[in-house]
Amino acid sequence: MPVYFSEHEVVLPGQLLSDNGKRSGEGTYSVGGKVYAAQIGFAIVKNNKVTVIPFKGAYKPAPGDRVIGIVSDVKPNGFEVDLGRHLTGIIRVPDRAEVKSMNLKVGDVIYVKVRESGLSGVILERSTRIKKFESGLLIQIHPVKIPRLIGKKGSMISMVKKLTGCDIVTGKNGLIVINGPSPKHEFAAMKAIQLIDQEAHTSGLTERVEKLIKELLEK
Amino acid sequence: MEEKPEKLISDEGIRVDGRRPDELRPVKMEVGVLDKSDGSAYVEFGGTKVIAAVFGPREAHPRHLALPDRAILNCRYHMTSFSVEERKPLGMTRREVELSKVIREALETVVFLEEFPRASIDVYIEVIQADGGTRTTGLTAASLALADAGIPMADLIAAVAVGKVEGQLVLDLCDVEDKYGEADMPVAIAPRFNSIVLLQLNGRLTPEEFKKGMELAQKGIAEIYRMQRETLKKKFSSARMEA
Repeated sequence: MPVYFSEHEVVLPGQLLSDNGKRSGEGTYSVGGKVYAAQIGFAIVKNNKVTVIPFKGAYKPAPGDRVIGIVSDVKPNGFEVDLGRHLTGIIRVPDRAEVKSMNLKVGDVIYVKVRESGLSGVILERSTRIKKFESGLLIQIHPVKIPRLIGKKGSMISMVKKLTGCDIVTGKNGLIVINGPSPKHEFAAMKAIQLIDQEAHTSGLTERVEKLIKELLEK
Repeated sequence: MEEKPEKLISDEGIRVDGRRPDELRPVKMEVGVLDKSDGSAYVEFGGTKVIAAVFGPREAHPRHLALPDRAILNCRYHMTSFSVEERKPLGMTRREVELSKVIREALETVVFLEEFPRASIDVYIEVIQADGGTRTTGLTAASLALADAGIPMADLIAAVAVGKVEGQLVLDLCDVEDKYGEADMPVAIAPRFNSIVLLQLNGRLTPEEFKKGMELAQKGIAEIYRMQRETLKKKFSSARMEA
């Protein structure tokens, strides 16, 4: 099956990618049996589908994603959770008494799973014990950079964790909570993550991140 | 106020600014010029200079305007008060409101709004300096800014004006030609499927002239489209595939 791009080529919206309309994956669209790119990014073939990995763009919630959110409203039948940017998730709780017993307040930062996402909004998984962050540093980066922050089999994030001694929780929506032994360590981890966010698609990033953390910790 | 030149096209067929009839003005394009926006672009066509910024997808305000099945696209085309020869009063004039609407409708044809239900995508086009063809330059910049913001879209939009000056069809009118010429026709096309997304006409053209004018516009648009793609590719060419 022919494709019209070389592996890892930078493609632009409207660029022809394939002649087989059934191979349209994320970041592409198909018209008249052909696949075109819809976003700027790297074109790759994944699971026999032509996919574009975007450089920039908004988070698209998918079932099973683990996200970090901020409780923005408590209602009789559930909670509204701000997922950063344009998204608001909801946790539906059928029982009023249960809402109280879940012990969530407006402003609480929680770690939840997406149950479904569609025209009815983003529905978050309800469990009796939702993980709540009691302390830490909350930062936001571009959601498309989260896979780079984690790295191959978690190599990048585990390096940052090891060097700074911080516990880092990442949400697929781009929110990150850092918990460390001291503000200095947390700050170093934050700076490292921001560097990854800015320079996600450059080579030699791992070395630069390592250098930055060491510099910051020595001060 | 600029005086009307005696002749807009010389006997040798050269226009007031030294161009041939089918020639574009010198074009400059840049993307990612604003830090705080999600996507931005700066486009220059001769003396016309425009900045476009895109914000979003973000929460739609006021909230009752949000649509349950797709995003709303807001567009503001605005000329800065120092962009024209005589100071333009602040705020939106009737003309700017209308141009915002036609530009929005052109952009709506390419952006996949259904990807972001309940959200809004805001496009701001600021004309820094006006020398004819601001709506086409603005639209060209806006489509670059949308692509830069990573918003899913079917194609880029390239736009240019054609007009009739002293009985001759010319490409990419400047201000003087627009004012003293006989006709001005801005055209915007999404080149992938060759769909016309904006077409206006001020003045009179015969059906033959209209056809010829469209061909001329298509030629110019092909050139602009190529430059747009080059600009975007250049910005991201340093990017490497990792992870």
